[in-house]
Amino acid sequence: MTTPLLEVTDLKIHFFTDEGVVKAVDGVDLTIERGKTLCLVGESGCGKSVTSRAFMQIIRKPGKLVDGSMLYRFKKDDGTDEIIDLAKLDPKGKPIRQIRGQEIAMIFQEPMTSLSLMHTVGQQITELIRLHTGATKHEARNRAIEMLQRVGIPKPDRLIDEYPFRLSGGMRQRAMIAMALSCNPTMLIADEPTTALDVTTQAQILDLMLELQNDYGMALLFITHDLGVVAEIADDVAVMYLGKIVERSDADTIFNNPKHPYTQALLRSIPKIAMQRDELEPIKGMVPSPFRRPVNICQFQPRCNQRFEACSRVEPVSTLINENHSVRCLLYEDVAAVHQADTEAVAHG
Amino acid sequence: MDMTVHEQAVVLGMHEESELKLEVATQWQLTWWKFRKHKLAMFSGGVVIFFYLVAIFAEFFAPWERTQYIAEYVYAPPQPVHLFDDGKWSPHVKGLTFERDPDSFKKIWKIDDENKIPITLFAKGAEYKVGLHWMPVPYLNDLYFTTSRHLIGAKDPTQPMYLMGADKSGRDILTRLIYSTRISLSVGLVGVGVSLMLGITLGGLSGLVGGWVDNVIQRLIEIVMSVPDLPIMLAIAASVPLDWSVIKVYFLITLVIALRSWTGLARVVRSKFLSLREDDFILAAKLDGAPQSRLIFRHMLPSFYSHIIASLTLALPGMILGETALSFLGLGLRAPAVSWGVMLQETQKVAVLALYPWLLWPAAAVITIVLAFNFLGDGLRDAADPY
Amino acid sequence: MWQYILRRFTYMIFTVWIISLITFAVIQLPPGDYVSTMVSQMINSGMDELPPDFEQEVRAQYGLDQPIYVQYYKWMRNIIRDGEFGYSWIYRRDAKDIMVERLPASFAISAFSVLFIWMIALPIGIYSAVKQYSLADYTFTLIGFIGLAVPNFLFALILLFISYKYMDQAMIGLYSQKYETAPWSLAKFWDLVKHLWIPVVIIGTSGTAGLIRTMRANLLDELNKPYVDTARSKGLSETTLLWRYPVRHALNPFISTIGWILPSLIAGELIVSIVLNLPTSGPVIFNSLMDQDMYVAAGFILILSTLTVLGTFISDLMLALLDPRIRLS
Repeated sequence: MTTPLLEVTDLKIHFFTDEGVVKAVDGVDLTIERGKTLCLVGESGCGKSVTSRAFMQIIRKPGKLVDGSMLYRFKKDDGTDEIIDLAKLDPKGKPIRQIRGQEIAMIFQEPMTSLSLMHTVGQQITELIRLHTGATKHEARNRAIEMLQRVGIPKPDRLIDEYPFRLSGGMRQRAMIAMALSCNPTMLIADEPTTALDVTTQAQILDLMLELQNDYGMALLFITHDLGVVAEIADDVAVMYLGKIVERSDADTIFNNPKHPYTQALLRSIPKIAMQRDELEPIKGMVPSPFRRPVNICQFQPRCNQRFEACSRVEPVSTLINENHSVRCLLYEDVAAVHQADTEAVAHG
Repeated sequence: MDMTVHEQAVVLGMHEESELKLEVATQWQLTWWKFRKHKLAMFSGGVVIFFYLVAIFAEFFAPWERTQYIAEYVYAPPQPVHLFDDGKWSPHVKGLTFERDPDSFKKIWKIDDENKIPITLFAKGAEYKVGLHWMPVPYLNDLYFTTSRHLIGAKDPTQPMYLMGADKSGRDILTRLIYSTRISLSVGLVGVGVSLMLGITLGGLSGLVGGWVDNVIQRLIEIVMSVPDLPIMLAIAASVPLDWSVIKVYFLITLVIALRSWTGLARVVRSKFLSLREDDFILAAKLDGAPQSRLIFRHMLPSFYSHIIASLTLALPGMILGETALSFLGLGLRAPAVSWGVMLQETQKVAVLALYPWLLWPAAAVITIVLAFNFLGDGLRDAADPY
Repeated sequence: MWQYILRRFTYMIFTVWIISLITFAVIQLPPGDYVSTMVSQMINSGMDELPPDFEQEVRAQYGLDQPIYVQYYKWMRNIIRDGEFGYSWIYRRDAKDIMVERLPASFAISAFSVLFIWMIALPIGIYSAVKQYSLADYTFTLIGFIGLAVPNFLFALILLFISYKYMDQAMIGLYSQKYETAPWSLAKFWDLVKHLWIPVVIIGTSGTAGLIRTMRANLLDELNKPYVDTARSKGLSETTLLWRYPVRHALNPFISTIGWILPSLIAGELIVSIVLNLPTSGPVIFNSLMDQDMYVAAGFILILSTLTVLGTFISDLMLALLDPRIRLS
């Protein structure tokens, strides 16, 4: 195994609302490798977006990073590595600001609203370039035009002076990608970048991103709920459910040999071409309200079709199936361990 | 072990119940729950209710009769209330004596420490009727009773008790202040009624019909909003013939004040209608074949009642201030009508005000009620969007 | 964009025209006219024998016997063609002269009030939004509410009372004695500015309260928009970010509010100058309305209204300059 670019351990992000504390991210472990693509998959509200925002320390209020470490391997100019714990950086401080945009860049879901409509595309891209490279206005502009060209925007020298509201959704997302890549980031986070686009544009943007990743060699953290997309681009996959990673492996394993009942259910719920319509199987039940998530038991248990008696008593821990495949489910835990936890629960009960 | 499972089931069950409540709560309930959290708005709501109660039961709250005066107590200063006499419970006010200023022959009032006027709650005073006697409906207006109890008063009603001082005719400021709430507060309500009708009709037409109707109404609103209202209001108010009755003047002034505040409401209604037209539930009702009128009154209007109420609450203080300003200038209501603005007319001369600062009490009432309405309206507006 | 400006300009002209109609109609409302007031005054002062045609003759002399639309037409024609606003019966002067004398101070007060409101409301609004629910936010909100609740004339009255009682002199007047009757000059203007702050503060306070709330609410909305996340993810510092993005966006609705604060400023200026007896348009309008000196009242109301409409037009232009969505539409 190569040394990971980013190693996240026990990340916890809680939202302190008037109604109570929402544990949006509750002990996430992840590794992202240099130049590889990791897909973070889950239903909406499972905490995948919040997790990715944590890497740049741009969690929104009232969310707060309460625990965990995010070790980022920063390659210094002299070729040696320096390990930075992103979790320890002040969200308003200079160190994290130097990482944002330059080391780690991000593309957001809504190209309509994530670009400012009051500034031209060029203003928004050159601002980033000048901030991190110290380029002159002219150099930054040339670089921006070059990037716009690279992402397939026609007549980039004219389009650079356009306002985003005059561009189509696909063009806007391309501009967004051009902006994100303009400082050659080591890692790119894409938070459902194709969800708001129509299907044809989706495919084009995906192809573009894969192509750019090949060219620039950056690591890609791709957040999506669309398993079709995952199949197309992922090297590794992490499946998230209610603030926890429930299964994690390489893409092949996830698709061909999923272990967690949730992953299996997810896979059954997507249509395949050779499938009859009635074979589709939606996951039954709903994601519980954030204020009444089950505690200290298996979170997925109420919706699980393979649950057994222990599931409503014991909280599963992450279990290694093999060195490249971990799953958080009692089905795969050492029976003895489960039993031990059982007796402990009795003792406490 | 059974315990744990059972406990969890109970916990989960409870959760489910509260969740269920949340899911089926009506918009009114949600609005109310959210509003309850605004402590200041709740308190202000209490203040507003109190003011209106005072207005309704003015005869009871006012220690004096409406037009009562004691001529010799011109500009008498406020008499402070003492609760104890020699350490014994004996609520009283001190009497007043005066000397003539040798130069100006003006009365100079002194507190007379010897003369203790006992006061009491629920004092006996002038008789008044409580009930529906004022209604011009036969039989209904027989429903009243007569009493002579006042919230507070001197045990001997012939003794002076000026808790907030007296005005230039020896009338009790507090009593006049209390009776003033009737006009000052109802002007707002009637005005709000008028602007509500105008606002909903024109705003609704604008939003529902659209096209050139919308355009014309929008221009109209722009014009009304860009005209400086005060000079126009002054001009209209100045044109009121002197022989008009109080009631006629009252309604004219109310109308004038209302004419400037309907525009905001019309805009709210219009934008709501515009956005609702596209909403799913309206579309669903339309597809169900609901007639237009049902669509508007059963589905669209109720969905923003709370917004309307909030806008109205925020419009009220403007109307109260408008009446006060007009009456203060002498262009609004005139004696014998009494409102806060009419009372404040006496303060126009700064020399008078400097000698008798208690004439400014109505200002405190104005500021209190306007603040209360603003806080209340703000809370309501926040609560109007419970989702 | 030119189309937008042209459209706004047309609206402005149209609005001014409507206002002139309303003004003229409202001025005509009181029963009788100045001539009847004059006649009754003459009778009261002992002239019991007036020629039988006297009233008719005076009316004919001033054109008051003509139908109202003819009077309106002549009034407008004289204003547009000659800049003449008619004759004041009370002051026995041209209405125009009185306006030239009184209006500049009114403009100055209103203009400075706008500046005052902006200078206070903008930074406080931004601060309150960024530090939402902080002690300062609550304090500003409370002060704002009080500013909103104390009507201009009461504020003026209270200040007047305090200055009279504790400073031995009422702060009345806009000019030092030296300049009171002097013609307009730079020195007189400077003298005016020095006296101006009292009415400006009084008038500005209520407007400030409203605008602080507007700015705070606008900015709170904008702070949660995704483009702010984008800007933050670029590595901009919080301050640069705030000013370059959300504040810039929140300014748009803020600017369009100038349109609606102007009428209330004018109203505030009127009533405050009546209370403080300032030599501005307020007292003149008030007196001319009471005495049915119609051309003076109508002239003042027309000019003040036109100015507010012009102010709205200017705010529309600024909006177009600031917002590319309007500029490029």
